[in-house]
Amino acid sequence: MMQNAKISTYQFLILVTLFTIGTSILIVPSGLAAKAKHDAWIVAIVGMVIGLVVIGLFCLIAQWFPHLTFIQMNEMILGKWLGKGVSLLFVFMSFIYASSLLFYSGTFLNTHLLPNTPMASLNILMAIIIVMGVHLGLETIARSAEIFILVFFVLFFFLVLFISPEVKFENVQPIFEAGTKTVIQSTFPFIEVTSVNAIVLLMFFPVNVNNRKQASKSFFIGYIIGGIVIIIFTFLSVSVLGAYSTAAEVFPSYELAKRINIGDFIQRIEALMAGLWIIALYFKTTIYFYASVLGIAQILNLKDYRPLIVPLGMIAAVLSLVIYPNVVYQQNWNQTTGIFLSFSIGVFLPLLLVAVYAIRKKQLKKAPESS
Amino acid sequence: MLKVIGILLIAAAILWKEVPPLLEKKDKKELVVFSILLTIGVGLSMALGLGKPIPNPLDFLTFVFKPIHDVFVR
Repeated sequence: MMQNAKISTYQFLILVTLFTIGTSILIVPSGLAAKAKHDAWIVAIVGMVIGLVVIGLFCLIAQWFPHLTFIQMNEMILGKWLGKGVSLLFVFMSFIYASSLLFYSGTFLNTHLLPNTPMASLNILMAIIIVMGVHLGLETIARSAEIFILVFFVLFFFLVLFISPEVKFENVQPIFEAGTKTVIQSTFPFIEVTSVNAIVLLMFFPVNVNNRKQASKSFFIGYIIGGIVIIIFTFLSVSVLGAYSTAAEVFPSYELAKRINIGDFIQRIEALMAGLWIIALYFKTTIYFYASVLGIAQILNLKDYRPLIVPLGMIAAVLSLVIYPNVVYQQNWNQTTGIFLSFSIGVFLPLLLVAVYAIRKKQLKKAPESS
Repeated sequence: MLKVIGILLIAAAILWKEVPPLLEKKDKKELVVFSILLTIGVGLSMALGLGKPIPNPLDFLTFVFKPIHDVFVR
């Protein structure tokens, strides 16, 4: 019942792209500009290249057991109890991130578009459509992503087109002033948000994609497209707003949309551009939420994950109001604990799996192929 | 008080929608997990609605990852 959903490689590519863009589009430029100043866009390029290695690691893992999700893979490789324990951590992480993204969408709407609406109602509204999406299943999510990606790229194209007259190249000069050390150091948050967290895609990546050989390729291509979008946004933020303003803004790319002014006629279209962020955020949150719901169902060996969606959505909506008391706490937490949480689940755990798999290879191959 | 009643009404609606198919299929395990999660959800929402403090899971994570963080960052 859970495994029947099939998505095409193209749909998978789109989901990867939207997942990569997700929150990064809103928050990454300011985080990068805080440390690397006007070289933020170089950091984004370096980060994307390093991120490809991480994606390669995920593809490697996915090859071994193409008919298992990440949770089942853990159990297969690490044994029943250790595997379940590790999977629990994984599910916990994706659930925390699902609620934190609900918080992001809530604060974003609350500070910029709907200041008089209480945040609780915004989060609940977002939670309701996410619950609906997951309830309808992966195929529906993938198909709607296929439609929304067009809207996304049309809006993106117009944003880039309209903002390009404002680009001041003085803002990015002198190029590469930050030095190699700073560049490498400040790539970590970028890698975390874009590629390390993509481990949750392993919940449906080898299993539910119809053409498995092509799927790895679309993982890479989707990631590269998403990365390019973020690089463009970072470059535009720094070159239009300047490094200092980019770092000072919480949502610099929204500020970017406010600066659009074509012949004193087309201006203040940022509310339209907010559609970009809502689309990307929605799909990223949905993927996190789907991964955590399916993960819990598979850890407990349930037949169907659907009954768990609504109660978990309720918990996520409450958590989204509680987990970050304010934006300062959020940024501080992301820079200290969040990075380590993501890296331990998204890099350390796969490496551990690789090591254990190398040791237990013969034994695992003998085991009968069970789903 | 209004919030509590509202939350209970929503919980009732969820029960009314989700439970009959589970009983029909006799999925006991699903029913148990569903009830536990719904209880947690209702409990948390009520605590939030009544303005009671809810423990933040992120503080727990910070507690766990603080030693690792301190090792890496000087």
